[in-house]
Amino acid sequence: MTESPAGALERLAEATDASFPHLFAARERTEDSLRDRRQKLSELGTDRDASVVLMGSWGRRELTGESDDDYMVILNGRERTDPRPRLDAVRRVVGGGERKPGAEGTFDDYVYSRHLAERIGLDRDDNRNLTRRMLLVLESLPAVGEHAYHEARAAVLDGYLDVSVRDFRPPRFFLNDTVRYWRTICVDFVGKERERGGEGWGLRNAKLRTSRKLLFASGLLPILECHKYTAAGMRPFLEAQLAAPPTDRVADAFIRHGAIDAGGRAFEAYDRFIGLLHDPPSRRSLQDLSREEADESPAFAEARRIGRELEGSLLSLLFETDELRALIREFGIF
Amino acid sequence: MTVAEASPLELLRSHHPVGASTGYMEEIRGDWHQLAAGAARVSSLVVEFSALSEPELDGLVSFLSKNPRLPFRYVSVHAPTKKRTVPESSLVEWLSHLPRWVSAIVTHPDVVHDPSAYRRLGRRLVFENLDARAPEGQLTELERLFESLPEAGFCLDVAHAWSVDPTMQLANELLDSYRNRLRHLHVSSLDPAHRHAPLTVEHAAAYEPVLARCRDVPWVLEAPLPAP
Repeated sequence: MTESPAGALERLAEATDASFPHLFAARERTEDSLRDRRQKLSELGTDRDASVVLMGSWGRRELTGESDDDYMVILNGRERTDPRPRLDAVRRVVGGGERKPGAEGTFDDYVYSRHLAERIGLDRDDNRNLTRRMLLVLESLPAVGEHAYHEARAAVLDGYLDVSVRDFRPPRFFLNDTVRYWRTICVDFVGKERERGGEGWGLRNAKLRTSRKLLFASGLLPILECHKYTAAGMRPFLEAQLAAPPTDRVADAFIRHGAIDAGGRAFEAYDRFIGLLHDPPSRRSLQDLSREEADESPAFAEARRIGRELEGSLLSLLFETDELRALIREFGIF
Repeated sequence: MTVAEASPLELLRSHHPVGASTGYMEEIRGDWHQLAAGAARVSSLVVEFSALSEPELDGLVSFLSKNPRLPFRYVSVHAPTKKRTVPESSLVEWLSHLPRWVSAIVTHPDVVHDPSAYRRLGRRLVFENLDARAPEGQLTELERLFESLPEAGFCLDVAHAWSVDPTMQLANELLDSYRNRLRHLHVSSLDPAHRHAPLTVEHAAAYEPVLARCRDVPWVLEAPLPAP
């Protein structure tokens, strides 16, 4: 039986006398809003092989007052022209008004799980497909169609855990795609800055330093931990890990590797970031900030400080604990 | 790396990130360009610019306000605790003008008389524990300050904690109490006159369990690196 990391953030809070008030409030907010969305979406009618999947801050259980509703409708079966629910009906429940999903066309669409699972690498795996796949695996939850959601995620995991996987060795294909995703986000950050003339620079930069980094770690750590399992044991382990919120996965790693103090500091910092995003003036100040104004912004100074503290804790977990140090050295770079 | 297998130099070099305080670079005191270069030769990641005496602060603020292109990712400033002449509120006003990329402004609990004056420094304000010459009741005093200034951080001066309690129980208690406030460490040995000195084998052995709890924060060296 594979132990679940669920509840690890609470355990870490208890061990470090911390309260992480913004993180736990965001989890409650996510659960409350999810109940509402589920009730409304359940009235629409959903194909048996379909799931409305919420991603981003929903998937991280970190909903703040002005979070976007990033979602997609996953379809497991054949391609067709009339899937249910219809997107225009879904849009009346999620993604309306200020909660419109991101502008890249990644969300608010039908997505065939077959494409995510089978088109890994090469030109057919474009930026959008990569992003959808990684978000489904790392930060998502089903609003409706839970069975179809789990099938889709299992199909993607199967796409990674193929015959090349060896017992007691981290699955390289999955590892490389996860690292590739993180580096793609970093490169695309500059691409977006050039394309959009700096619009939204401050908030994207702050997220890159914090929530994106934590998300990457929340994928990297379970993949490295696969070294404890046979090839057959990796899938249940990864499924149990990926079913928990990213913050639980990372908190669990800090606890298991005896880095309690560093873990407490990591989440004390990240908690402040969630508080910053939930505070409308601070969020707007980051949203409107240009690169040229960054050094004068108190909100950006705080985001930069948080990012550095979080990064320091994650790096110490990876490079200054015995087991992970060996794994990250062996598999993390080449 | 454990002390059994590491020299003091190796112990320090095995940590990331580590950096220098300019406070020990006596011969170039006041020349901030040279001090920055001297610190960068130890590490280009972390620095603590030390203006322990109030007359040094003007030059440091002037130097940093010109936004010099420094390599460091973590910049701390040690605020004046000696030769103080200006009123506390004026000193804080002065410190508040340090560029926002200065991550930490370190001061000593025993020079703070009106905590509310320091509120404007927010999270950049960092209190350091004092050595055995300080009056009793250090923990109570720190507790009082953190209650008044909940955003303030903590700098564990490992040598100072050792001077009060060579068993290092105090250092562990400080970490237990303020672990989530910890921003960085001061690391050195102390000579008999309580001056910071290069880390010795004896102190490295005494500090090691405490240092192991602080692997994720910068370590600022308050004395030159020990000899190989």
